[in-house]
Amino acid sequence: MAWHEEFEAAARRPLPLRVRYAFIKTYRPVLDDEPFRAFDRMADYRAWCESALPDWLGYGRV
Amino acid sequence: MGAFEYRQAEEIRDAFTRHGVRYLFIGKSGAILLGFPDTTQDADLFVERSPGNGAALVCAIRELGFDLTDVQAAEIVRGKDFVQLKNGPFDLDLVFAPDGIERFSDAWARRVDVEGFPVCHPDDIIASKAATNRVKDRESLPRLRAFRDYWASRRRG
Repeated sequence: MAWHEEFEAAARRPLPLRVRYAFIKTYRPVLDDEPFRAFDRMADYRAWCESALPDWLGYGRV
Repeated sequence: MGAFEYRQAEEIRDAFTRHGVRYLFIGKSGAILLGFPDTTQDADLFVERSPGNGAALVCAIRELGFDLTDVQAAEIVRGKDFVQLKNGPFDLDLVFAPDGIERFSDAWARRVDVEGFPVCHPDDIIASKAATNRVKDRESLPRLRAFRDYWASRRRG
């Protein structure tokens, strides 16, 4: 299905249904292993993502 | 913990309104509220950084069931750039300084109301994702830009 058709189909769905289809839950190693994290600067968070998370999660910068 | 549900988005909206928290849905969760058909895991909120807003935010998220220590609450009030919460009924990312957006007030002025949910304008969502330059964002940006154009054309009628 072309993107435009997907957008049209989504626009016909009520908001609660769009949310239901969109949010999923899968375990992400490391990222999901701590109940709370706080970073002083976004740069610290980005650096942490690159050093601590598996590459395949896609949080590394291009 | 299951996937984020619509009723939880309503709970955020209602609790934040009660406590007067200034915030916007951002990231893919914001795009989804705007109608972008895609998947994500977390709700991302862009929160205005100020002591008063931070204190109101802590009250609201505690009311929602997040189990914050006093030290963690203080970090939120202080307005660290990024806070990741997985100690409540759903996962929540609090962003006080998203990449690609200069000031909260600018994004607030451009916000879109989606059935009572304050959401960043698609241009701001795209700007923030483009600025992060992550692999996962780079992959989703072409489709998100196409959605922005579709959304804008629908808005113009």
